[in-house]
Amino acid sequence: MNQIYIPKNRFGFETGNYVIIKPLEEKKPTENLFFYGIKEIEPIKIEIIKEIIRIVDNNIKEYQNIIFTGSFLDKGFTFNDIDLIIITEEEKNYSSIKEEAYNKFGIKADILSLSNSSLSKGLETDPLYQIMLSKSISKNRIFYKTKNKINYKLLDLHLLKSKVLIENFNLLKGNEKYNLVRNMIAIYLYLEGKKLTKDLVDNQIKEDFHLKDISELKQNSIDKKKFLIKYKLIYNKTFSKILEGIKNDAKQKQVN
Amino acid sequence: MTQNRNKLIELFIGNISNSIAHEVLERAVIKDFMADKYRKELIVSMDLAKKYREKINPLNEPLPEKDINYIKNKIINRVKSELNLRISKGYKNIDLSITEELVLKALSKLNIS
Repeated sequence: MNQIYIPKNRFGFETGNYVIIKPLEEKKPTENLFFYGIKEIEPIKIEIIKEIIRIVDNNIKEYQNIIFTGSFLDKGFTFNDIDLIIITEEEKNYSSIKEEAYNKFGIKADILSLSNSSLSKGLETDPLYQIMLSKSISKNRIFYKTKNKINYKLLDLHLLKSKVLIENFNLLKGNEKYNLVRNMIAIYLYLEGKKLTKDLVDNQIKEDFHLKDISELKQNSIDKKKFLIKYKLIYNKTFSKILEGIKNDAKQKQVN
Repeated sequence: MTQNRNKLIELFIGNISNSIAHEVLERAVIKDFMADKYRKELIVSMDLAKKYREKINPLNEPLPEKDINYIKNKIINRVKSELNLRISKGYKNIDLSITEELVLKALSKLNIS
């Protein structure tokens, strides 16, 4: 049982009086949240999100938006941390927010700050940014209407990251494998002109690698031989498309 | 060298090569490339190379000269081959001349040389 101490010599609060105990600091009501690509979410997660927004509000004065994304928004409670992006023109130290969130919920908050222009540029050229916003919850409405700008050299750079899976299958954890596969498939679909969403990419992964559920990959329970044959095939196909794009861009520049 | 050590060295070479090729390409697109913050969750080749280095003896001192030369030359060849593939398709601005310097820097950082 918790106890509250009050001065012995006091005005009011006679013995036997009923009283209300409430914190001095009033909780500010959080305005409605904006949901993107979320079909359902556990109510407790909404409460956590609202509380984190309150913590951010108490620590940072100027920012444009807070976007929650990542596995925290997936069904269930298998997430490792809460990914949130603070849209602000000024990068700050978020250690106090992280600490407060951890003390309150025992969950690590992974905070990233981006300026409006960086996010906008990322959405134009990077498939992963599109996936990121396709399933998200934000404090304010998200207004980014961008067209895909295929930059083959950037995609080449992004795809090269996924090459590590081929030689390092045994060393990588399930989640690391999933991130690398997702990166590659997202680039492949992006080159096909698809509008990317997390579900679209996950479904494509399931189809390509004959998985019943994406958790098979995340939990590392896949057949190495069959997986790598397919993986190399898609990697090479995607890489060829990128090289072809680089070649065509170079020809186009020569003509101009 | 035992078979296991050879295998570890090859895996180390593969990851360092990938990491250096990435660095050279990053410099080639420096104007369009922004601080890649959201991609930080992707495991990178350098992290994996470190993991392999921790398994290659001797752990706390540089490798024998013979190994250093083998590793250095193989990484340089692999990086150049990866980059030349792109150059042959018309990729401009790839500076092959920085490869050796980056390789030496990486080998020293990981206590190979």
